[in-house]
Amino acid sequence: MLIKVERSGGFAGIPISNVMDVNELPSKLMSIAKKIMMDKKSFSLPKSYPKGAADHYTYKISIEDGENRRVVECTQYDTTDDLKSLIKYIEKNSKCE
Amino acid sequence: MCFIIPEYMNKNIAEKGSKKQKEQAWKNLVLTEQLRGRRLVTGLMSSMFSVSDKLDRTIYDAENTENLPGKLVRQEGGPAKGGKTVTEAYDYSGSTYKFYKEIFDRNSIDTRGMRLDSTVHYGEDYNNAFWNGTQMVYGDGDGEIFERFTKSIDVIGHELTHGVTQYEAALEYEGQAGALNESFSDVFGSLVKQYALKQKADRADWLIGVGLFTNKIKGIALRSMKEPGSAYNDPIIGKDPQPGHMKNYVKTTSDNGGVHINSGIPNRAFYLAAMELGGYAWEKAGRIWYITLTERLRERPDFQRAANLTFAVAGSLYDKNSHEQNAVKKAWDLVGIKVKTK
Repeated sequence: MLIKVERSGGFAGIPISNVMDVNELPSKLMSIAKKIMMDKKSFSLPKSYPKGAADHYTYKISIEDGENRRVVECTQYDTTDDLKSLIKYIEKNSKCE
Repeated sequence: MCFIIPEYMNKNIAEKGSKKQKEQAWKNLVLTEQLRGRRLVTGLMSSMFSVSDKLDRTIYDAENTENLPGKLVRQEGGPAKGGKTVTEAYDYSGSTYKFYKEIFDRNSIDTRGMRLDSTVHYGEDYNNAFWNGTQMVYGDGDGEIFERFTKSIDVIGHELTHGVTQYEAALEYEGQAGALNESFSDVFGSLVKQYALKQKADRADWLIGVGLFTNKIKGIALRSMKEPGSAYNDPIIGKDPQPGHMKNYVKTTSDNGGVHINSGIPNRAFYLAAMELGGYAWEKAGRIWYITLTERLRERPDFQRAANLTFAVAGSLYDKNSHEQNAVKKAWDLVGIKVKTK
């Protein structure tokens, strides 16, 4: 199972894409990733930001397991603490595509 | 039975009524403002409520957390302490206020002396600066790709201008409207820098974010208004993706439809207009763009609409078929947009 975190936006507008094998995640983050995959209602986020806000980050998190794929999109304003931890870990510990 | 009080009547009451009458009229106007746009009531607010005509800045330190606003470290008139980053956020937001006040007689972001709040040292190795709808936020950079984001005066000018846009045209942050939002921030961010350096258009570098990249990155800036797409080309971060002409418009779903990418097109249009008109860029081109943003544009314009309106504003300010109006038309034409007058 692979997890891909794509970040776009920000003042510089430089996109970043990181991929990791879900099995290489620490156990707590692995559970979060698997929950995203299995539970379609979880992490169905609005992709919202405050009125007038600009230069924030937007994230697209894709999890693939063979033929199954789940995509979650959010901004830095509506990431949950779980998602934030997952994103931070992958950005820090994986290779950029 | 329904009573509908016409707008002109609410305005009269808001100006001349009793305190209670003013309050009710004001509430009515605020409600209609949501349907008709903010500008209607902004001027009225200044006359109704006492507003400060003085610069007021507050700097906070997030101490490398993502908690906002953070710890208060400097207030208006307070001693210069807290290090380079605090000083830059303080000084450059002052420069931005001064630019808007002296050139356009604009009293802060909201025209009513709104306090300028900045948070520095946000996050860890945080490679970004942003406007969150109420304040500016600056990261320190990771020291590998980016330096601290307060280093460039045009970054502060850019972020504060997002606030101006929020209170004026309220441009949606998506697609071409979002790219225009970004472009106005680059335009006025650049003008803040040019004003501080007293540079005429032909002496300006027209670069956004000079000094933000570390010396490990092959790039002179984050963006070039003069030549979109030329600011950087690096093996780690890639090549500057900005187009400078509609034929190279980037269709994408990321970055809210490429707001930081396609802003290159209106950026270049402004640069071309400013160069054609000569002198200090804020005097003519800047004025045309400012009036377009604050008096003509509304939430979801596309580039064509912005071109048509800047052309119309130039005609109002300097006469139809004037050198100024023709400069605006030529600038948009050179980026692939033909001004439409009807």
